[in-house]
Amino acid sequence: MDLARYAALFVAESREHLRACNTLLIAWEREPAAAEPVSGLFRAMHSIKGMAATMGHAQVADVAHHAESLLDAIRGGRVAVRPEYLDLLFRAVDTLEDGIEAAATGKPATEANSEALLRALEVAAAGVVAREPAPVAGAEPARGALLDVEVVVRPGAPLRGARAALALRRVEALGAVSRVTPATPDFERDDFDGRFRFRLRTGAAPREVDAALRSAGDIANVAIDIASEDTALGTAAFRQVRVDVARLDAMTKLAGELVVSRNRLLDLLSQHPDGALRRTAEAMGRQVGELQAELLVARMTPVAELFDRFPRVVRDLARDLGRRVRLETEGGDIEVDRAVLEELGDPLVHLVRNAIDHGIEPPAARVAAGKPPEGRLRLVAARERNSVVIRVLDDGRGIDRARVLQKAREAGVAEPGLDTLGDDQLLRMLARGGLSTATAVSGVSGRGVGVDVVVTRLRALGGTVELTSRSGEGTAFTLRVPLTLAIVSALLVRVGGERYAVPLAYVAETVDYEGGRRAGAAADEVLEVRGRAIPTVHLARLFAVPGAGAIRRPAVVLQVGERRAAMVVDALEGQQDIVVEPFAPPVGTPPWFGGATILADGQPALILDAAALA
Amino acid sequence: MGQTVLVCDDAIFMRTMITDILSQAGYDIVGEAESGAQAVQRYRDLRPDLVTMDIVMPDMGGIEAVREIVKHDPDAKILMCSAMGQQALVVEAIQAGAKDFVVKPFQPTRVLEAVQRVLG
Repeated sequence: MDLARYAALFVAESREHLRACNTLLIAWEREPAAAEPVSGLFRAMHSIKGMAATMGHAQVADVAHHAESLLDAIRGGRVAVRPEYLDLLFRAVDTLEDGIEAAATGKPATEANSEALLRALEVAAAGVVAREPAPVAGAEPARGALLDVEVVVRPGAPLRGARAALALRRVEALGAVSRVTPATPDFERDDFDGRFRFRLRTGAAPREVDAALRSAGDIANVAIDIASEDTALGTAAFRQVRVDVARLDAMTKLAGELVVSRNRLLDLLSQHPDGALRRTAEAMGRQVGELQAELLVARMTPVAELFDRFPRVVRDLARDLGRRVRLETEGGDIEVDRAVLEELGDPLVHLVRNAIDHGIEPPAARVAAGKPPEGRLRLVAARERNSVVIRVLDDGRGIDRARVLQKAREAGVAEPGLDTLGDDQLLRMLARGGLSTATAVSGVSGRGVGVDVVVTRLRALGGTVELTSRSGEGTAFTLRVPLTLAIVSALLVRVGGERYAVPLAYVAETVDYEGGRRAGAAADEVLEVRGRAIPTVHLARLFAVPGAGAIRRPAVVLQVGERRAAMVVDALEGQQDIVVEPFAPPVGTPPWFGGATILADGQPALILDAAALA
Repeated sequence: MGQTVLVCDDAIFMRTMITDILSQAGYDIVGEAESGAQAVQRYRDLRPDLVTMDIVMPDMGGIEAVREIVKHDPDAKILMCSAMGQQALVVEAIQAGAKDFVVKPFQPTRVLEAVQRVLG
């Protein structure tokens, strides 16, 4: 039985459902009389149950089944909602999460703790009859979305017509089916090829429709379009197909390699006398670029997928820590490469935790400070040129600069004479591992725990972190990440015998260097660029390689947020689209390298991390 | 304790085979029937979680039995067992309320998949 093929789909869909469950539970908690959360939860549990049972995860199915029974009882008015039932359902969601993550990794789930939960759910579902009549909930909405659906029964499956009839039957439970083509009697014909279409009016989400159809078994493909009210079947402009993420990754990697080969080819042909050959290669080069751009678009995922995790995290943390927090999210529809989004999860959790633990004050303290008792935490995503910016803003007490400075002095990392910390300096102090993990800092209003992790992770992504904090007013962290990790436009520079790639996103300009000046006897060298003194680094010196040593050399001005630095190199070698290869630097590698790549001529080069140099 | 199953087929060979496949997978075979009429009677007595139902049986066929059982228990979970070439009958059984079907000759994995789909 080849269930392995469905395992990834099962895990992905279950995670989606569970995220929805958390959101719905929180909405329900805020408004216990609302009917929609109950129906939504019921459907989600039902879907998880069906999938888990099919996949043979009996325990997951069992928990979902019990949760579904309780929800059904509440929905049917047989059981009155109580706060402890909500807690029970939150626990059920957690247990399902564990079970599904265990299924994802192939580890056995912890069996012991679900037993008590199952019994509690059972008792709740069998509970006393509600005294007041419950609102009419869960009835299928009269209207709902209109979907055009095309289903293909697996070729080679026995009795495909009967399978199609079964699939249709399953989906009839979700809404009203119309315009079935071919007509159902034709399903029985010998020449029925297993492909049929129909229109469905339903309150269920497309993925639920998909799951219901697939639950009939032997279904090769399901395509669901949102139908406009009166388009004829089959003329809808959009078609969606589910693609396994691993396959998308493989295609992206291949496209990346294709880009490298293209660059190499164009490089080899650049001096070729045959114009037609050159032009053909250039045309192909453009097509390869377009192909890659299309693939990158296909990888784009809305930030909402990440933001949706946080209502639950915030609720639980606020509860544990005795805070009142209202979470607001903006820009959830902004899209980022899936791989970038995945990497942002942990840093965001750190920042959100910090905001609630150390930023937002307990209600009494807030009222005493003249603020509303409920703190406000905002997650905001926005698009800026070729990057996406994600901000975590709280209206808490702000970071205690004096305290951080004192800690920095004690740790001997503050320059003598430094008596106030600017935002940049503050971030740098917090990002120093040793300092940031000092519990004394986090225990007071200073905030450090995990900031080093955030900064490190963002750097690895080719992103940056900025911080602004005002005493008594709040703190904002700004994370800036590239839209995609797969490909980067870079400036190639030469130092000694080596070439390095600098991501263009961080290159402000290039200037001629003819020797800088020193701001003071002991101070670092600076370069005047348009009246502004910019700290200057000589890469040859930094890397301890023999540089060309010419008097007149180019310098690359890097800009990361507000910070600038001039980087003196031996030569500029043009621009190139490079494919960032995964980079596992050996221990002891200096922090200036953010990755590696293969250049057009087939030679490897290291990618410079602008954030570490600026 | 496994879920309970009633196996209905007029051929002992088929009943034995289904019984073996399902009991090895941990299901509890609580009864057998060799005709449609017997299937309806046993269903009322035993209330099994699942029924496997042959289509062609003497003394009330499988489809008729499905109608009778569903009339009394709309949630009854019935898995049709059919041979190739019985497509029209299978479609009729589904319309009568059967929840899934398997096709002879039986492959154990496909039978179990269908059973899990029905019981899920």
